[in-house]
Amino acid sequence: MKNPINRFLARSLAIICAICIGVFGMLAHYLNRQSEETISQLGNIYMAGMNERISKHFETMTEHRLTQMETLVTTIPKAYLDDREALQNWLVYNAQARGFESAAYYYPDGSMEMLYGGEVTPAGPQDFLNSMQNGESRIAVGFNQAGELITLIGAPVEVDLPGKEDCIGLVGELPLSYISETLSLDEEDSIIYSFVIRKDGSFVVRTYDAFRNNYFERVQAMYSEENGKSVETYISELRQAMDAGEDYSTIMNIDGERRHIYCSALPNSVWYLISFMPYGALNESVETLGTRSLVSALIGCVVILLSLLMIFIKYSRLSWAQMQELEEARQAAEQASKSKSEFLSNMSHDIRTPMNAIVGMTAIASANLDNPQQVRNCLKKITLSSKHLLGLINDVLDMSKIESGKMTLNLERVSLREVMDSLVSIVQPQVRAKEQSFNVFIYDITSENVYCDGVRLNQILLNLLSNAVKYTPNGGSIQVTVHEEVSPKGEDYVRIRFLVKDNGIGMSEEYQSHIFESFSREDSKRVHRTEGTGLGMAITKCIVDAMEGEITVKSRQGEGSEFQVVLDLERCTEQEEEMILPDWSMLVVDDDQQLCESTVSSLRSIGIRAEWALDGESAVKLVSRHHREHSDYHIILLDWKLPDMDGIATARELRRQLGDEVPILLISAYDWSEIEEEARAAGISGFLSKPLFRSTLYHGLKHYVSADEARQPRPEKPVADLSGRRILVAEDNELNWEVASELLGSLGVELEWAENGKLCVEMFQKAQSGWYDAILMDIRMPVMNGYEASDAIRAMDRPDAGLPIIAMTADAFSEDIQRCLEHGMNAHIAKPIDIKEVARVLKKVLDL
Amino acid sequence: MTLEACYAALGGDYKDVCGRLCGERLVKKFVLKFLDDPSFGLLRDAMEAQNWGEAFRAAHTIKGMCLNLSFTRLGTSSSALCEALRHGYTPEAEPLFRQTVEDYEATAAAIRAFRTEEEGA
Repeated sequence: MKNPINRFLARSLAIICAICIGVFGMLAHYLNRQSEETISQLGNIYMAGMNERISKHFETMTEHRLTQMETLVTTIPKAYLDDREALQNWLVYNAQARGFESAAYYYPDGSMEMLYGGEVTPAGPQDFLNSMQNGESRIAVGFNQAGELITLIGAPVEVDLPGKEDCIGLVGELPLSYISETLSLDEEDSIIYSFVIRKDGSFVVRTYDAFRNNYFERVQAMYSEENGKSVETYISELRQAMDAGEDYSTIMNIDGERRHIYCSALPNSVWYLISFMPYGALNESVETLGTRSLVSALIGCVVILLSLLMIFIKYSRLSWAQMQELEEARQAAEQASKSKSEFLSNMSHDIRTPMNAIVGMTAIASANLDNPQQVRNCLKKITLSSKHLLGLINDVLDMSKIESGKMTLNLERVSLREVMDSLVSIVQPQVRAKEQSFNVFIYDITSENVYCDGVRLNQILLNLLSNAVKYTPNGGSIQVTVHEEVSPKGEDYVRIRFLVKDNGIGMSEEYQSHIFESFSREDSKRVHRTEGTGLGMAITKCIVDAMEGEITVKSRQGEGSEFQVVLDLERCTEQEEEMILPDWSMLVVDDDQQLCESTVSSLRSIGIRAEWALDGESAVKLVSRHHREHSDYHIILLDWKLPDMDGIATARELRRQLGDEVPILLISAYDWSEIEEEARAAGISGFLSKPLFRSTLYHGLKHYVSADEARQPRPEKPVADLSGRRILVAEDNELNWEVASELLGSLGVELEWAENGKLCVEMFQKAQSGWYDAILMDIRMPVMNGYEASDAIRAMDRPDAGLPIIAMTADAFSEDIQRCLEHGMNAHIAKPIDIKEVARVLKKVLDL
Repeated sequence: MTLEACYAALGGDYKDVCGRLCGERLVKKFVLKFLDDPSFGLLRDAMEAQNWGEAFRAAHTIKGMCLNLSFTRLGTSSSALCEALRHGYTPEAEPLFRQTVEDYEATAAAIRAFRTEEEGA
């Protein structure tokens, strides 16, 4: 994803990389240079020391020889100065004794007269002559008779020698190796080698691999430029240094190898010692050092770059994730706002339509005031539109209440049978209008009564069911199933599974994923004609969530939908009315086997033996067999919709065989009134509305208990004794007080009347502790209302300040109940006063 | 005129009230007493004086009595009036009040007719 942050990151990464590489490169280069310079300085110092040592040694050795020669001259005994023969013998003897190979007199013209040995000639006769004439001793190189190089030692003679008055000096011959040895020029194990040259570059001694006569020639041939210094510069610099008598040091490339060169003058001669140290060895270590420092610099560079890169990658990932989150949040917010605006526009449309109808119909009605038929018609339509409008607004209010978390569940005793019955009767007209087939199945319900918010439960089921009706085309089928299962919450609970199934238009997978979101309605042409707020499923989901239940949906487009609601509800453990019927034998006919089995087991639980059949024909067979065996069923339950032979036809056939005695009851989820006439004509005696709860069966069948079969009603369970209890009734209305007093009086309760909250508080305060067992409190009273009275009583400092207070009011909204409980009251009874309910609640709060 | 007919005339649920009050005796007693109840007068005065809080309470009391006596019709209108006044005055209160008055008059007329016959008998 291209974004400014990433671009910035990439750019700064590149810049930092470049800076890093540059800095490290320069550092490496600088260090390299530094180490090179250091090495060269070291070489200089070393070479200077070497040269000095060699020159010192040379000086010592030559001086020794020169001194020998000088002493030879100066120590000539006086006696021999006159005797030419003796002098010559003495000189020869002494010179030989000092190891000279030959000796000669030296004359001012440069000629020599041999004392002994072969003739010698100096290699540089003029230099030699000059020195001797100046009275300086000198060492020089010369040639012997064979033309070999030799060393010449010359010392001036200042006395006149007999017969040799011209002689200016004595010259002695030494082998050439003397110089080489003295200068240690041929030390093979040393890495240093040296040449001895004259000022003009000619070699005095050619050592090492020098074969040319002149060093400068060698330089021209073998040396090449180094560090920008050309060979010519080198030669001229060398010459200048020689002229100035200074030491000279440089680095040149010889034979492709860098060498350190050091040149210094040798004493007692006109020679110069040039030493060479190849950089080979040094170079290697220097290069190793350089390479190492370069490598470490590179490694450091790479490490830093890598860590930088990692930081950058990490950072860019983090920022990417953040961007992603932001993007998601933005999309969610956009989606929400889009849904809301869509909802608003839908709503406006949905509200406008009925509103228009109301306005229009009102106008028509006002224009036709003298035509009652027309007005009635208009009013009917206005009523319908208003109801629809009210429904819409209720939904919206409900939703906003749920969204702001203000929904409270009002747990009360709920009969599943009543819930299902009312549900069936509500949808029946719609189902009939669309000619849909509708069926309700109840399986294995053992606890008909549970604690639940009945209104909300009704809302859930009605929502699902009316959706099913709405989205199923004419002639489709709709089915409601209720199962009871073991609840994971414990024995006091039952898990109730409601299934609402249709074969309508279904939903797309995509829509199913957000069907429970607010303001959603599938956006396709098929549903545009269907009105609604799109809040129904969201509200349903919220209620199910509040009940800690679960709602799921399975659907395929064009095949239908199946909604499943699972709730864990607390069993109502109150004593149910004892339901026992005589020991009849019955037949249940329904095409659903599970329903048959469930019904048979319900019947067994109320004391009836029953058999079942899945279709009309087998039912007829069973009945005729029993008839032949003179053991007719007492009652037959017959489903209306049966395969092949429907309930009516089956009934007709049964009547033909059985006569009129056995009651045949039709069971169906349809409205009885539609088919009553036809059914009666076919001999059906009555009707039981599905779903078939145990109590449905009991109440439906008990009419058929004949007088002789009717058992004596069992002695009723003793009603917990309330007599003698004293109850304070706070009620402002006399008539209501009298009703309460009459009804509660029949329970043997003693009642006292307070006309408003203030009186109630005063009476309670005056009475001794424990005088009253409970207070029945109206809420809306003059002077002081029920809430304030309850607060005042609860705030009193007396042992019975916590006595049961029961609110009794004509308001029965869950908010009111909530408020009563908030004000410290124990329970709530809705008016009208129902003696059974009051007794139940009293017993509950008094722990009876 | 029987009590049942009286209930039919005033729009009440006779069966329900008999079930709850355990027979006709008490029903008759309370129905006759209904005429003496001051709540309706209170309601009317409060509406005239525009004392909405008091009017709400009076309507609420009437609603409570109607529930106890299963006077469905008057109960419905007084209950609607009650809701319209619960949080103070709303414009709906006026027509609902008129409806309540109408229903009350009808109820009272039916009861009076019943009483006359009872006394005559």
